[in-house]
Amino acid sequence: MDSGYSNEDIAPIAILMDELRSEDVQLRLNAIHSVPTIALALGSDRAREELIPFLQDSVDDEDEVLLALAEELGRNFEEYIGGKEYAHLLLGPLENLSAVEETLVRDKAAESISKIAAVLSQEQIEQYYIPLVKRLSQGEWFTSRTSSAALYAAVYDKVSPAIQDELRKLFSALGSDDTPMVRRAAAKWLGPLLAHFAQHHLLSDGLPIYRRLQSDDQDSVRLLTIEDLIAIAKRISPAEVKEHLLKQIKQSIGDKSWRVRYMAATHFNELAVAVGKDLVREELVGLFVNLLKDNEAEVRTAGASQIPGFSSQLEKEVILARIIPCVRDLSQDSSQHVRAALGKEISGLTPLLGKEATIEHLLPLFLHLLKDDFPEVRLNIISKLETVNNVIGVELLSDSLLPAIMELAEDKSWRVRQAIIEYIPLLAKQLGKPMFDEQLGNLCMSWLGDTVYSIRESATVNLRNLTEVFGVEWAKTAIVPKIMGMGSHTNYLFRMTTVQAIATISSSLNLEIIRSEIIQPLVELSKDPIPNIRFNVAKAFEVIGTTLNKTPEDQRFVQEWIVPALERQKNDADADVRYYATRALQKSLTPAS
Amino acid sequence: MGSDLDRQIEQLTRCEPISEEEVKRLCLKAREILIEEGNVQVVDAPVTICGDIHGQFWDLMELFKVGGFCPDTNYLFMGDFVDRGFYSVETFLLLLALKVRYPERITLIRGNHESRQITQVYGFYDECQRKYGSANVWRWCCEVFDYLALGAIVDGRVFCVHGGLSPNLQTVDQIRAIDRKQEVPHDGPMCDLLWSDPDDIQGWGLSPRGAGFLFGADITKVSFSNIWNHVLYAVHFAFAVPWNMVPWELDSPTPGIHRLFSGAFAHNNAIDLIARAHQLAMEGFKLMFENRIVTVWSAPNYCYRSPWPGRHLPPPIPYVLVFWRSTRAMTEGAWYPRVFFTFGPGYVR
Repeated sequence: MDSGYSNEDIAPIAILMDELRSEDVQLRLNAIHSVPTIALALGSDRAREELIPFLQDSVDDEDEVLLALAEELGRNFEEYIGGKEYAHLLLGPLENLSAVEETLVRDKAAESISKIAAVLSQEQIEQYYIPLVKRLSQGEWFTSRTSSAALYAAVYDKVSPAIQDELRKLFSALGSDDTPMVRRAAAKWLGPLLAHFAQHHLLSDGLPIYRRLQSDDQDSVRLLTIEDLIAIAKRISPAEVKEHLLKQIKQSIGDKSWRVRYMAATHFNELAVAVGKDLVREELVGLFVNLLKDNEAEVRTAGASQIPGFSSQLEKEVILARIIPCVRDLSQDSSQHVRAALGKEISGLTPLLGKEATIEHLLPLFLHLLKDDFPEVRLNIISKLETVNNVIGVELLSDSLLPAIMELAEDKSWRVRQAIIEYIPLLAKQLGKPMFDEQLGNLCMSWLGDTVYSIRESATVNLRNLTEVFGVEWAKTAIVPKIMGMGSHTNYLFRMTTVQAIATISSSLNLEIIRSEIIQPLVELSKDPIPNIRFNVAKAFEVIGTTLNKTPEDQRFVQEWIVPALERQKNDADADVRYYATRALQKSLTPAS
Repeated sequence: MGSDLDRQIEQLTRCEPISEEEVKRLCLKAREILIEEGNVQVVDAPVTICGDIHGQFWDLMELFKVGGFCPDTNYLFMGDFVDRGFYSVETFLLLLALKVRYPERITLIRGNHESRQITQVYGFYDECQRKYGSANVWRWCCEVFDYLALGAIVDGRVFCVHGGLSPNLQTVDQIRAIDRKQEVPHDGPMCDLLWSDPDDIQGWGLSPRGAGFLFGADITKVSFSNIWNHVLYAVHFAFAVPWNMVPWELDSPTPGIHRLFSGAFAHNNAIDLIARAHQLAMEGFKLMFENRIVTVWSAPNYCYRSPWPGRHLPPPIPYVLVFWRSTRAMTEGAWYPRVFFTFGPGYVR
C-alpha cells in the first residue's frame, strides 16, 4: 500500500471490500457476517461515514448474501455506529434490500426495519421512517409496495394523529393495489396494524380495508383475512360483530376455495372466542358442522382438531345434538389423516360430557378407533386415554384396549413399537398391577429381544419406569429373574441386553436385590468372551458403584464385590474394557474415600 | 484422548462439522492408527458389516439406531463413505473419530470413492470447499484414504472387500504384499479389489466401469467337501428371529443347502463367504454364486436422493450383515459361526 493511509486505517474496510468481491459465495457470506466486527474496528464515526454508504451500494449480490446483510443490520447494529440517535442511517441500506426480487430478503429487511423502529425517537420516525414508508408504499415496482405493508404496525402508535390519518390512507391503497402480491401482504399485516387503531378508526377505516380484501378475487388473499377478522372481532362488541361482520364470517367459512375454508377451520376456536357466546350458538355451530362435513379431507382434519376447544363453549345438549353426530361420521371417515386427527382430540370431549354420556356416545367410537387399520389412529387414541380413564375408569376400555396394544407392540415399523412402549408406564398406572401382570408383563419382556437396538434400549428404560410405578418388590419377582435369565443366552445380544438393563434399572432397585439376584451373574458376565459385554459390565458396575454409596453397608458391598471385579478388568486384554474399568473404579471409589 | 474426542463425536453425531484445526489433528491421529493395520485387517466376531454410505448421514444414524451405537456394537464399513450424499464431511469424520476413539470396535476399509480423482468429480471435494472454504480438509482426508486397509477377514471365514477379486491375486497373502499407501491406481491388483464386480459370466470379463474386472461363479468355485465340517452358517433375521422370514436356517449340516462359502479364491484361502459393497442392491443385499458372495448396501435413501429429516416418512432401514458366534460353539471348541442378515426389509407404512 503506497497511499498516505497506514495499513491499520484502511485495512478493515479494504478487507471487507476485497472479500465481498470474492468469487466464492461462502467467502462473501462470511464477510457479511463479520460486518459488526469490522464496524467495531473502524469505530462509530467511520462506520457511519464509510461502511454504511458502502453497504448501501452493495445490493447487487446473491440472495443468500443479501439475506445475511438484512439480518446483520437488524441485530442492534446501531450500537456500532454511535447509538440510537444514528439508528435511522441503517434505514438506507435496508430500504434498498426491501425492494429486491427475492421474498426472503425483503421479509428479512422489513423485519430489521421494524426492529430499528423500536429504538427510534418520534422525531427520527417522522423525519426518516415515515418518508421511507411512503416511498416504498408508492414504489413503482410491486416488490417495494409488498415490503411496505409490514412496516406500518411498528410505528403507528408513535406518530402524530395527522400522520396516522395519512398512514391509514396509504395502507388502504395497498389493500386495493392492482398486484395480488401487494394485497396479500396487506391482508397479512392488517391484523397487527388494526391492534393499534383507535376504536372509531377501526370501524371507519379498518373495516372497509378488511371487507375489500375479504371479497378479493384471489383465494390466496382471502385466506389471509381470517386472522384480520379475528383481530377486528376481538376489538368490538358481540352486537357490533353481528351487525358488521356476520356476512363476512359466513362467506369465509363457506368460501368456494377449500384453502380459505381450511384456514377458517384451523382458526375456528379463536374466532369463536372472539365473537362471543350468542353468535356461537346462533350461527357458528351450524357453520362448524358444515366444516366437519366438508368435501375436502384437509378441511375436515383441521376441523377435527378444533372439536374439544369449540365444544367447550357449548352446552352439553348442543354438543350431543350437533357435534356428536359429526364425530360419529368422522370416526368412519375415508381419510386416515382425518381419523388420526379425531383420535388425538376426541378424548377432550369426555370431561365435557361426563361419565354417562361418554359411555353412551363416545365409548363405542373409542373402541372402533382402537381397531383402526392405521397405526397412527390407534396410537393417538391410546396416547390420550388418561383423560378418558379419569372420567369412566379403565375397565370398560380394557377389552378392546389390550388387543390394540398387542397389535401395535408387534407393528412392523419400529417407530410405532417405540411409541407404544412410551405409553406403557401410563397404562400400567391405570390398569393396576394384577391386570398389568396378566396382560402386558410378557409383552414388556419380549421387547428386550427386539431386532432393533433402539427398541431394546427403550424396553430397559420402560422396565425402570415400571419399577417406579409398581415398586421394588414387584420388580424383584416380575422382571429381575427374567432379565437375569437372558444373561446366559448363547446369543451375545441377549447377554448385552441383560447388562444394559441392569445398568438402567439398578438405580431403582435396592441393595438387597442387587446382592441376592444380580451381582453374582454380573461378575460372571465380566468374564464374558465378548469384549463389548465386558466393558458394558464395567459401565454397569460404575452405575451401581456410584448409586450405592449412602450407607456403610453399601460401601462394604462395593468394596467386597465391585472393586475386585473392576481391579481384574483393569488388566483386561481389550483396551476399551481397561478404559471403562479404570473410569468406573475412579468414580465408584471417589465418594467412598 | 478422552474428553475432547468424545465431544467431537457427540458434535458430529448431531451432523455438525468440527473445526478445521480439529480435522487436522483427527486425521493425523487416524493415520497413526491406520498405518499399524495390515492391508487385510483381521477382525473378530461379533461384527456388523456395512456397505456403501455415500454421505447419507441420516442413513448412518438410522443404522446405528437399529444396530446399536459404536462402541457397544462393533462395525466394519466396506468403503464409499463419501460422495453423492449431502453429508460426506460429517459422515466420514464421524466414522474416523470413532475409529480413533475406539480402534478395536470399528474397522474402515477403502472403497473406490476414497480417492482424490473420484472425490473431485462426485461431490466430496466440493462439499469440503463449501463447508470449510478451502481444500485443506479434503486434502487431509485424502491422505487418510491412502492408509485405509484394502480388505478384512472376519474370524478367518468372511473376506470383506469393497469391490471384488483380481485376476492377479490368488491368495490373501498376495494382498498383504501390496504397498497400499498411495492413490488408487488405474489398474492392477489394488485397483481391482476396489473396482471389480461379480457377474453371471464364466471366468474374467471386462468391466463396463473402465476399471477392475467382472468375475464369474467359477472364479469363486471349489469342491466344498474338504471344508464342509466347519462351514455351517445360518442366514436369518437376527436376534428375535421371525422364523418365517428365514431364508436359511442351519444347525446341523443338511446336504444340498447352506453352502455359504466361496470358490477358487475362497478355497485357496479357506474363506467361506465374500462380503462386498460397491453396487446398489435395491433389497439391501444380494446373494450370488450359490450364496458364496453377498453384496451389502447400507444407504437406502440413496435411491430416492432425499435426505430424510425433510421427508414425511421415516427412513427405510439400512441393511447390514451381522456376524457372530454363539458361545456354545466357542465353549465346545467347534465352529458354529453364523451369518445374520439383520434389520427387516425397507420401512413400509
